[in-house]
Amino acid sequence: MRVASLVPRYGLRVFKDELRTRAGMLVLGLGLFLIMLPLPIKNQFFINALFVTFLYAIMTLAWAIACGQAGMLSFGHSAFFGIAAYTTMVLLHQKVTPWLGIPAGALLAGLFGFALGLLFARLRSHWFALATLVLNDIFRLIFENWEEVGGMRGLEMPYYLVVGEPSLYWLNFTHPRPFYYLALGITGLELLMIYLLTKSKMGYYLKAIREDEEAAKSVGINITLYKGFALGLSAFFMGLAGGLYTIRYGYIDPGAVFNMMRISIYPAIAGLLGGVYSLVGPVVGCFIFIPIAEYTRAYIGSWLGARFYGIHLVFFGIILLLVSLKMPEGIMGFLEKAGYIRPLLSTTVGGSGGGGGERKSPPER
Amino acid sequence: MALPLALPSWHLIVQAIISGLLIGCIYALIALGLALIWGVMEVVNFAHGEFLMIAGYLACFLFALYGIDPVLSAFLGFVVAGLIGLAVQKGIIEKVLGSPPIVTILVTFSILLILRYGALAAFGPEVTTTHPWYGVKSIYLGSIAIPLVGLIYAGASLAATGALYVFLTKTYTGIALRATAQNRIAAQLQGVDVKKMYTLAFAIGTALTGFAGGLLASFYYIYPEVGARFCALSFVIVVLGGFGSLPGAFIGGLIIGVAEEVAAVFIPPVMKDVVAFIIFILILLFKPTGLFGGRAS
Repeated sequence: MRVASLVPRYGLRVFKDELRTRAGMLVLGLGLFLIMLPLPIKNQFFINALFVTFLYAIMTLAWAIACGQAGMLSFGHSAFFGIAAYTTMVLLHQKVTPWLGIPAGALLAGLFGFALGLLFARLRSHWFALATLVLNDIFRLIFENWEEVGGMRGLEMPYYLVVGEPSLYWLNFTHPRPFYYLALGITGLELLMIYLLTKSKMGYYLKAIREDEEAAKSVGINITLYKGFALGLSAFFMGLAGGLYTIRYGYIDPGAVFNMMRISIYPAIAGLLGGVYSLVGPVVGCFIFIPIAEYTRAYIGSWLGARFYGIHLVFFGIILLLVSLKMPEGIMGFLEKAGYIRPLLSTTVGGSGGGGGERKSPPER
Repeated sequence: MALPLALPSWHLIVQAIISGLLIGCIYALIALGLALIWGVMEVVNFAHGEFLMIAGYLACFLFALYGIDPVLSAFLGFVVAGLIGLAVQKGIIEKVLGSPPIVTILVTFSILLILRYGALAAFGPEVTTTHPWYGVKSIYLGSIAIPLVGLIYAGASLAATGALYVFLTKTYTGIALRATAQNRIAAQLQGVDVKKMYTLAFAIGTALTGFAGGLLASFYYIYPEVGARFCALSFVIVVLGGFGSLPGAFIGGLIIGVAEEVAAVFIPPVMKDVVAFIIFILILLFKPTGLFGGRAS
């Protein structure tokens, strides 16, 4: 196994071809739009909502690397999120800048994900999902009883930063705009990374493992190793999100960062809604689901009274049920399959995985 | 997380082993349901713990309203959980059998979300329990105290396990169920209605869990998320015993029960679930087929 197989064989030429197409221009235009978007907006709440959506986009894309590429459906990605969040915070207390702390946390999460991928490689679909579901509670328990990192009380940003001047070095801002750009940048980076992954040999290996493990093994793919790589990469990006969360909010506790619903399941629902096999599907899913989730969470409680706390989670269950029953490929998968949009960057087998010039004929009437 | 300086006395260890064996019987019963469903249908029921929670609430309400003993309510829990399981199987899961595993995982998981948070909205987050007359009584053997309630719930769990054993080995339906688990196509060729067997397996699996839920209410707190812990534990047990192996699930339940209780002597008791997870990791590393072989995952 060469690390070089991560980079597509023809270098970036494929990507250039892709940029010349209409879809490529669309992506470019959308990117510019998103960069300009928060500039004229005065409302900080709205910019923060955009930041949260992109934070979830990072998480959902990370989750989709494991689920969409390698078929490892995980309900326990909060473990990676939390490990990175705690690492970033502890390093911040040691006077390490978040510019190093966030990547360090993400690397640690990535290594942990890699090890976990190797360990859980034997567990097929159902059992992998169950094993990861257990991770949420295990890590919450461990960190709640780990007094050196604050135990139940959690950790706060150092006080001199809370009262300090805004600084780029410490990523210490009260305005959400810089964080929005960070989240947007990481999302872009992640999309590029996944794009390159789907074009690389490793991407094809993962697809083969996802579709038929026995067949993949019989052609000589080292399943354990590649599952490790997939989960490691996924955990790395989840860790970036964890670090970003820590720096933005300045306070973490085990109940928040190892939260099953909000950290592990929201990305899963958003990703499945948007379509895990499509490159942009998870982002689309986030832009649909996260605003709905936040609003229902805020309003159903006050609307029906605190007595019905938790009812929004029932609605999420129903959404998940309907999506998995009626549209298991998600919105983007559905649109691509129906031929309404060209399966740009789709990772489904038989889609235009091979890059370049294929075009799907429009739907026949 | 500091270890105690002096080793605890052997009384404490024996006491822990006994309570571990007693609670292990309940763990085993829950795990048997999960293993049965997996063995026959190759579906992992993520909502398994939620059936436990529903039956637990049922027992608590019956106790609070009419003072009915939780062990008696367990029989009603058996029926109610079985009926809900039947409805879920007929209404939802049967439609997705044969689709890719990701779909069945997500479907049972969304049932988990709906049941768990539906209970949260309906009953609130407070814990509730029952107070049967034998709740605080103990039998003393020298310096070892055996809680009476423990003997009762362990006895009832063993009886349920025994009934399942007789059903699976002595009746035609039970044998057909095992045949389906062993080889679906061969069973079909012998005239077994495989689809009916799936429904039966799911209903029996959830009903056993419901029975355990009623027993659980006699000594444990019931709250909307109570299922999470027991579902996780029964999953570890099923992996320990060998995927889908029923004797394995039973022995595994006892082992996990004892391991947790003994560990709780040495570490903070809230951390004892971490021990079960460490056992799970060790099995994956050294004996991935589990203690009793069983079918590969």
